[in-house]
Amino acid sequence: MEDGGGGSILESIGSEIIGVMSPVSICMFLVVLLVYSLTNTSASSAVRTAANLVYLESPTDTPAEKLEGALLNALVFVILIAFVTFVLVLLYYYRCTSFLKHYTRFSAFFVLSFMGGPIFLTIIQHFNIPVDSVTCFILLFNFSILGVLSVFSNGVPILIRQSYMVALGIVVAAWFTRLPEWTTWVLLVALALYDLVAVLAPGGPLKILVELASRREEELPALVYEARPTTNANISGSRGGSTLAGLLVAGMSQNDGSDHGVELQAVSASPRTNIGNYENEIASESGHMVINMDNDDEEEVEVVREDQEENSPLMAGNSRERSRSPMMYESTDNSSRRLNEVAVAEMMRPRRERDGDEMIEVMNGRGIKLGLGDFVFYSVLVGRAAMYDLMTVYACYLAIISGLGCTLILLAVCRHALPALPISIALGVIFYFLTRLLMEPFVVGTSSNLMMF
Amino acid sequence: MTVAAGIGYALLALGPSLSLFVAVISQKPFLILTVLSSTLLWLMSLIVLAGVWRAFLPFKTTPSSSAWLPYSILILSSVVFQEGLRVLFWRIYKKLEDILDAFADRVSKPRLFLTDKMQIALAGGMGHGVAHAVFFCLSLLTPAFGPATFYVEKCSQMPFFLVSSMIALAFVTIHTFSMVIAFNGYAEGNRVDQLIVPVVHLVAGMLTLVNLASGGCIIGIPLLYCMALFTLLHCGKMVWKRLADSQNR
Repeated sequence: MEDGGGGSILESIGSEIIGVMSPVSICMFLVVLLVYSLTNTSASSAVRTAANLVYLESPTDTPAEKLEGALLNALVFVILIAFVTFVLVLLYYYRCTSFLKHYTRFSAFFVLSFMGGPIFLTIIQHFNIPVDSVTCFILLFNFSILGVLSVFSNGVPILIRQSYMVALGIVVAAWFTRLPEWTTWVLLVALALYDLVAVLAPGGPLKILVELASRREEELPALVYEARPTTNANISGSRGGSTLAGLLVAGMSQNDGSDHGVELQAVSASPRTNIGNYENEIASESGHMVINMDNDDEEEVEVVREDQEENSPLMAGNSRERSRSPMMYESTDNSSRRLNEVAVAEMMRPRRERDGDEMIEVMNGRGIKLGLGDFVFYSVLVGRAAMYDLMTVYACYLAIISGLGCTLILLAVCRHALPALPISIALGVIFYFLTRLLMEPFVVGTSSNLMMF
Repeated sequence: MTVAAGIGYALLALGPSLSLFVAVISQKPFLILTVLSSTLLWLMSLIVLAGVWRAFLPFKTTPSSSAWLPYSILILSSVVFQEGLRVLFWRIYKKLEDILDAFADRVSKPRLFLTDKMQIALAGGMGHGVAHAVFFCLSLLTPAFGPATFYVEKCSQMPFFLVSSMIALAFVTIHTFSMVIAFNGYAEGNRVDQLIVPVVHLVAGMLTLVNLASGGCIIGIPLLYCMALFTLLHCGKMVWKRLADSQNR
């Protein structure tokens, strides 16, 4: 039966982009809520973190002093992050992968319990929720342990994993919003620039990391949000439906006779998450998906290697040293460059089924992965905008989302790892200052007189 | 006036949009993207307008002189600019439609249906409406979450927030559905529809000038709702006719 037969293309276009934008929006929204409800209660005493080692901003300083101090702070922070990233590259180069994984798990636990804990406590205090400390401790402990388990294990449902990524982003962002104002803005700009350099420049640590990972064809032990699209509503039969970027469907397949059979392991069974980003419900229950490529007539079917992928090397360091993470695009190797082109052009090839050997063609199908640091810094920007006004929140939100959209489009064009921070942060900062300086007198002036257009 | 009242005011202005979003727009990812880009476009239009008018604000009006003239010029210029932007939006949409149709041909799916096009227009209009509601109403609502409320002298029958939300609701309706009318008008070359939209927008904007007078909002708001109702009915009639025509064909 035809897939999506009679259905319009409007049903499915753009679902991957929304799959990335929704968690980002949810993260930003929750951080704004947190900021709004907790700004009054949190003490304005300066917290000395890695981000203001050099200069503690106080409201009595002159703007020049503040700017200078903020620049120094940002410089120190970026240097710290670069150093940590290089250390991680070194560790990865010497194949200390299990150490990195354990470190990531430890830092996830640390963030969720020791940084999320105070936030929970503040919420409880602020809203006078009646709960005793033993219950609280047990709940927090369970929450953190589940988070640790879900970070790298593949037995945990993807929704829980995604929720924990968002939760980690929220906790770290909420802490970052405690930084003083000038430091925050300069830090954001500095980090955007660092991200640009680290991912694109030839000597950049993240670029090296990505290349190492792709050469070794394994997944980086990093905290990354995977946006896996849900299966399409019009699933026909057991073979799965079609989405825009193609179908990846894998059904069960007994592929013994094929020479080109490549065994993909279902995402839930192994740490090698790759092509299985687009998966059918049925396929995900199956232990293995076998994709058969036929190179006969359909020239567009390509070999899909299971191990080609790139992840975002967000290093889960200490929350304050959380490094940059570029947004990566999984790319296949050279032999399937055409597949990539196809994927990139977002064409959907008609799915063919061959009755004989129950082989399903593989179309492209890549989920988009966004590093956790991007979540954090987008939310920090919006959280800082929330401390001023709701108008700036909305303007910055739109700016960030459109920057993310532009980056995704560029990703589809460039097909290699791209930094997700620069465009969004640049647009966000521009829109924040434009809104704050220009729009407010205009809009508030008219609407407080009840005149609107 | 407490969180409940604050949420109430926000929902008053944005409730119908929220239900429209959940029911129609969230089903199709492309429509969500359309809403976001439309909101961005109108945000940028507001920033440009604000940039232009920044030098003249705040208006120096003494109690004796009336503030009618500068405000009416402001509203007139803003409406003209926004309507011009609507034409631009239409052009962008045409290009997008061509791209989408080409894509549909490539993947052997049917081209955009009439309902699809109308849904895109609706999403675009909703972006406009939401941008208006957020910037003109929600941004002022933050004090409403606190313990007190606020009354404006010129309209002292209701709290300021309530009046603002009601006006915002009317405008959201007008914006959402006039985009559908406008797109249909441009698509069919129907002069009447093409002209009705700017006229309605201008009249609605000018109607709010009535609020400058003391007690003006008693007249202004019902008239505004008449405009909103008119837009709704006209849009409904037009859509019905168009759908009936396309089915008969």
